[in-house]
Amino acid sequence: MSTHLQVSQGDRHRTPLMSAAGYAAMVLVVLIIAVPLFWILITSFKERQDIYVRPAQYWPSPATTDNYRDTVTSIPFPAYFRNSLIITALLAAAKITLGVLSAYALSLLRFPGRNLVFLIVIAALMVPNQITVISNYALVAQLGWRNTFQGIVIPLAGVAFGTFLMRNQFLSLPTEIIEAARLDGAGPMKLLWRVVMPMSWPTLVAFSLITVVNEWNEYLWPFLMSDNEKTAPLQVGLTLLQNNEGGNNWGPVMAGTVLTVLPILILFLFLQRQMIKGLTAGAVKS
Amino acid sequence: MKDLTRRGFLGLAGAAGVAAGLAACAGTGSAPSASGGGGAAAGGPLQFWSNHPGTSKDTEAKLIEAFQKANPGITVSLIDGGKNYEEVAQKFNAALAGGQLPDVIVASDVTWFNFALNKQLAPLDDLLAAAGLKTDDYVDALYNDYKFNGKHYALPFARSTPLFYYNKAMWTAAGLPDRGPTTWDEFKEWAPKLAAVAGADKVALQLADGSNYLDWYFQNMAWSMGGQLSKEWTATASDPKTVAAGQFLQDLAKNKWAKFSKSPDAEFSAGIAAACLQSTGTLGGITKNAKFEFGTAFLPGDGACPTGGAGVAIPAGLSDERKKNAVKFIEFLTNTESTVTFTQATGYMPVRKSALDNEAEKAFLEKNPRAKVAVQQLSKTRSQDNARVLVPGGGARIGKALDQIAQGGDVATVFAALDKETQAAIDSQIKPKL
Repeated sequence: MSTHLQVSQGDRHRTPLMSAAGYAAMVLVVLIIAVPLFWILITSFKERQDIYVRPAQYWPSPATTDNYRDTVTSIPFPAYFRNSLIITALLAAAKITLGVLSAYALSLLRFPGRNLVFLIVIAALMVPNQITVISNYALVAQLGWRNTFQGIVIPLAGVAFGTFLMRNQFLSLPTEIIEAARLDGAGPMKLLWRVVMPMSWPTLVAFSLITVVNEWNEYLWPFLMSDNEKTAPLQVGLTLLQNNEGGNNWGPVMAGTVLTVLPILILFLFLQRQMIKGLTAGAVKS
Repeated sequence: MKDLTRRGFLGLAGAAGVAAGLAACAGTGSAPSASGGGGAAAGGPLQFWSNHPGTSKDTEAKLIEAFQKANPGITVSLIDGGKNYEEVAQKFNAALAGGQLPDVIVASDVTWFNFALNKQLAPLDDLLAAAGLKTDDYVDALYNDYKFNGKHYALPFARSTPLFYYNKAMWTAAGLPDRGPTTWDEFKEWAPKLAAVAGADKVALQLADGSNYLDWYFQNMAWSMGGQLSKEWTATASDPKTVAAGQFLQDLAKNKWAKFSKSPDAEFSAGIAAACLQSTGTLGGITKNAKFEFGTAFLPGDGACPTGGAGVAIPAGLSDERKKNAVKFIEFLTNTESTVTFTQATGYMPVRKSALDNEAEKAFLEKNPRAKVAVQQLSKTRSQDNARVLVPGGGARIGKALDQIAQGGDVATVFAALDKETQAAIDSQIKPKL
């Protein structure tokens, strides 16, 4: 937070030239991010023969919603969408709970071997998901969990990143406040809920957001685990719109992409406000 | 300082703990393959893992329905195996490690061999004989593509060849005869004329890029110029004739006569490429999308057309009972009537000789001369080079080399490096198992 203050103080001393350069850089970055998104959006409204034309068409004319109808009708879209929601909700809930609780234990509770546990967790963070896929597959298949939500969710629920992020956040809290709360007789749970969490809101929101986006976009594991629309999420379902040797029909693919991005976009807009609120709340007066 | 050393020690201890944990995890992988029988309960439906080549999910479902009607007591469930052949192979790989095997998988020209080599696919000859099913009606070239050590490991299913597609209006404007080029040299003569007609924002020939099977199409170029990527188990990309073919490809790119993209059919059907090389499996898609008259032709070079596409195979680890049902199913899936239905819906090749005598097929080919060209080309095909289809990672490796060439890399150098890699893969991964 203190760095934030410095930056905003620095702002006032900037020359007009510097701020112009800053804005130019900002516009450039926005363009880099926005142009592909814009292209996806307009392609999703184009008629099939307008997608590949030279010179390129920067506005769909005539605009059509056929691609959206195709997407929703040619694959069992609602089923995939429901699965995505279920998987993401379960995973996010599990990861956030585990992340917060483990970070709390590893930063503010004292017990022997605490650093060892933390190191093991960090080491786990460094093993890429793809490496454990085969052994996880074997285990889950033996349990008979293929094509079930628990088969998809449980192996992914381990959370090293969240533990790491939240632990560092908790450690950065002023010890005076923690000690004051302990002196006032707060038990471990009360300390977590009443003192630690309210001060860590922005980090938690950021962590939740990253988790939700990651889980929403998870592809490899759900793809291996599910055979059809009973459990497969949207990302797997969208591949049915693409097909090798059949020719690609980009309109519905783009429409599907837009529909897939929307929920996350809405969530982001909503949570972003929370993040700012948290940032400005300020637990400590300096 | 004290703290630091303690941490260092703990770090080591932690790392050791994790390594042990991982080893324990990996250990679970070996257990289930022994039980082998597949995860589905013994009497459960057959699991057919398919990527629905050529957007054929509905057609596959129709064939399955017909099979179930003809074989009461056996049910088949159609499973989404991924978006392409490689994803089906990936999913199958995971299943091999962890049990719950499928009963039938779609295996492409590049993916089947590695599984067969590692004894993960069941040889079909005995199974077919035991079920009293004959194989002499399969188009020989297609059936024998799956032969290894005297046994067949798959039945041809969604088989394709590349096809030369050309835009008739642009052909006329350039003053060219209404046919494809008979040799690549002839195309080189035509290319400037086509480029002049097409204008600056269009291109004479659209090709797939290296990650989208350019390696497949390139075999045609290499063969038609007398080269090849490998002879049996020897890599021969640095053969002067193959290098000349690579040089030809590079010249096409350098002169801006050819461009490379993910799906050439899209550019072609949008009218911004005068011609393209694409699979016959794309014929249906191009017919639907192109708003102009186009023709299909044999690939340049006589008898230099590679086959491709996919077959259906059965995992080796299944119980005999399930294998028996599975083989019945894949034979049905590729019998004369099924292959006629399937190929008419997608543009793939009929895999049975008798399909050409089938009334429905005759009528269809009469009405669709472009599909007829594709079927006629079947007699001019040649089995692919081992370096591409049988060596693990071969297609991707060659595709990468071709990408480098198209972007101006020195052909001889790139191909020499390619040969070295291919040969190393052959020597280490294939020769010991032959």
